[in-house]
Amino acid sequence: MTDTVKKRLIKFLVSLIIFGIAILIIVYNLRDNIVYFYSPSEIIENNQTGSQIVRLGGLVESESVVSDGDSIFHFNITDGQEQISVKYQGILPNLFAEEKGVVVEGIYMNDGRFIANKVLAKHDENYMPPEVIKSLKETGKWQE
Amino acid sequence: MMSLALHYVANLLLILCLVTSIIQSRFLFKIQNYNLFSISQISAIQFLSILVSFFILIFLFITSDFNFDLVYFHSHSEKPIIYKLSGVWGNHEGSMLLWILILVLFNFLFSLSKSSSQKFKEITVAVQSLMIFGFVLFLLLLSNPFNINNENFNDGLGLNPILQDPLLAIHPPILYIGYVGFSLIFSLSITGLLTSEVDRKWATIAKPWVFAAWSFLTAGIALGSYWAYYELGWGGYWFWDPVENASLMPWLSATALIHCVVVLQRRNTMQSWTMVLAILTFSLSLAGTFLVRSGVLNSVHTFASDPGRGLFILIFLFIILSSSFLLFALKSEKINKPSLHNISSRNTGIMVNNWLLISILSVVFLGTMYPLATDLIYNQSLTVGPQYYAISITPIIILFLFFMILSPQLSWGESKLLKILSEMRYILISCLTITFLTTLYFDLFNFTEILIIFLSLILIISSLSSGLNFKSTKVIVKSNFGQSIAHAGFGIFMLAVVSNAVYSQETIYDAKVGSKLQLDEYIFDFKNIEQEEKDNFNSIKAYLSLFKNGKNLGEFSPEIRFYSDPPTITSETSIIHQLFSDVYVVMNVPQNQESISLRLHIKPFMNILWLGVIMIILGGIITAILNRKKYEENAIN
Repeated sequence: MTDTVKKRLIKFLVSLIIFGIAILIIVYNLRDNIVYFYSPSEIIENNQTGSQIVRLGGLVESESVVSDGDSIFHFNITDGQEQISVKYQGILPNLFAEEKGVVVEGIYMNDGRFIANKVLAKHDENYMPPEVIKSLKETGKWQE
Repeated sequence: MMSLALHYVANLLLILCLVTSIIQSRFLFKIQNYNLFSISQISAIQFLSILVSFFILIFLFITSDFNFDLVYFHSHSEKPIIYKLSGVWGNHEGSMLLWILILVLFNFLFSLSKSSSQKFKEITVAVQSLMIFGFVLFLLLLSNPFNINNENFNDGLGLNPILQDPLLAIHPPILYIGYVGFSLIFSLSITGLLTSEVDRKWATIAKPWVFAAWSFLTAGIALGSYWAYYELGWGGYWFWDPVENASLMPWLSATALIHCVVVLQRRNTMQSWTMVLAILTFSLSLAGTFLVRSGVLNSVHTFASDPGRGLFILIFLFIILSSSFLLFALKSEKINKPSLHNISSRNTGIMVNNWLLISILSVVFLGTMYPLATDLIYNQSLTVGPQYYAISITPIIILFLFFMILSPQLSWGESKLLKILSEMRYILISCLTITFLTTLYFDLFNFTEILIIFLSLILIISSLSSGLNFKSTKVIVKSNFGQSIAHAGFGIFMLAVVSNAVYSQETIYDAKVGSKLQLDEYIFDFKNIEQEEKDNFNSIKAYLSLFKNGKNLGEFSPEIRFYSDPPTITSETSIIHQLFSDVYVVMNVPQNQESISLRLHIKPFMNILWLGVIMIILGGIITAILNRKKYEENAIN
């Protein structure tokens, strides 16, 4: 092995190790900050209660939206099989409507309620969050 | 009749462009005996064929010719004319045509330029034409904007009011000029590798183009961010959304690239790394536009609805990446000159910051791709929270700021750190004092925030003082003026980002008319609510006055609009811009008669933030223009 080849090999290995460590740190950090998405059936099945923030998506059940003033809203999210009662304080996005797709982010409580701190909106009235389509397809409620 | 004629003319023009692209790529295959027209003449035909077909498409949209599928799906006879125009590139096929138009425009402009030798120009135009051929073929076969239908539709379907926004009309063309600009840099790199001529001359040819492309890309991203800030009404300007990340990734790699081109021009070193970055930047630009447009990034599932297009782009990307890296592997020995720089030279500083930029790029890449991977492999949907980006990028940014301050102080040869420190002592002391006073005044306790503010201040002052020479009576602008403006702009930007993150406030009120709302020192006097009927929508408008210490600062009129066709609700935010703080109000769709939900935001330093961004863009433009003169100056030493 010539000197230049040796030098190069060392250089390559050192940068590989540094790069590897950097990736490890990033991925470790990534795992701490991911937000899982569940449908109502999945969240009941996994019993994902506790302090972890998750996303819940499905259709807003018809005639379930109730407002009790001070911008507090209650509504049910359903995937056709199970429904979860959601409490949210804040401004509902413009495209929020009954029987339309919705994704909320928050905490699933021990008593089976979901306290949302975010209701996610998209730009288009025909838009359906892909995760919601997927979960509706799984329960057979999806109509093309 | 007319429609059919235009359909044929447009398609023929596209085929003409295909033919000219084949003729132009002849230099790659050593066929030299065709001399009827010069390269720039053929490039002109190439450019004109696409330009005319683009004008035909504009004409179709403006005259609302619903015999064409594209117009039927994406336009409407009642749209204001400017949005009929922007509707041309507000869809996949039209934006492809715009992309190709810019591609041929760059090719044409380069064929006119006189900075390079004839042989170099021939090969560059040939490489560029090969790409044009690929994209025009894609347009004709899989994404033709000139398809016609046999129905007689009375009106179109495209009247989405949210997309009717002046900023959204100019955002795509600006962004595309940036993305496509890097196609020329890519072609230049391939030519440099083929001819083994990656040297100071190469850097001098490439520099104005690479800086121009970078400036446009920066401006495009900034426009998108500004649109999100005032239109979406969520109070933020950056959401780490996959679509935003797709434009940030080529920007990060392009930022590393522009610095390498400068090093290459000055020191004739870092050849290989410059080539890698040029190829990477263009690949990321391609991925950025097309993976976003075909919907792969939003979700893996939309990919299936458009398999032909997605597959074509993936194959195209694969060919470009594999062939260019193969060429690179074969040629990298030949283009590399032994570099003899000292460890304490400016090269080292720039190299370190290159690596830091690539680290940020990796963070963004992993954050964007991880959800796609888990969805494909584990069938588990998830999102990566913004916290991930903040935590991962903050330490990198601190190091980055440090080296951004240090590198311009280092000379290209050997430098003494102690000497630099003593030269900078006044700047350091004054910035330390300012930071200390602000910390006390604003009750800042977070060490990271204080550190970033301190470093940003030094960066701003040291950059500005290095670009200007203060003689006793007049101020002389030095040749590195562009760099100093851009670097100071970045310092101002970082200062604003940190202060904005710390001092932003928001609150929500269920308000009745006549009530007074309060947030921080501001009083919002809710005066009235009115319903109005407009041409194509009904609106509810709230009127509020803003007071601070009893002084009236302006009026708000947030609005909710109800469109009937298609049934859509939009909200218009109302912003009062002050020098150091934006105050803004968003209104909710009324749920009952008595009260209305209003969200109030205080966003400090937003003007400063945009000022920083504008300085960064200006710095890029200045450097692109000043390039030639600078090279001649430096050639002497």
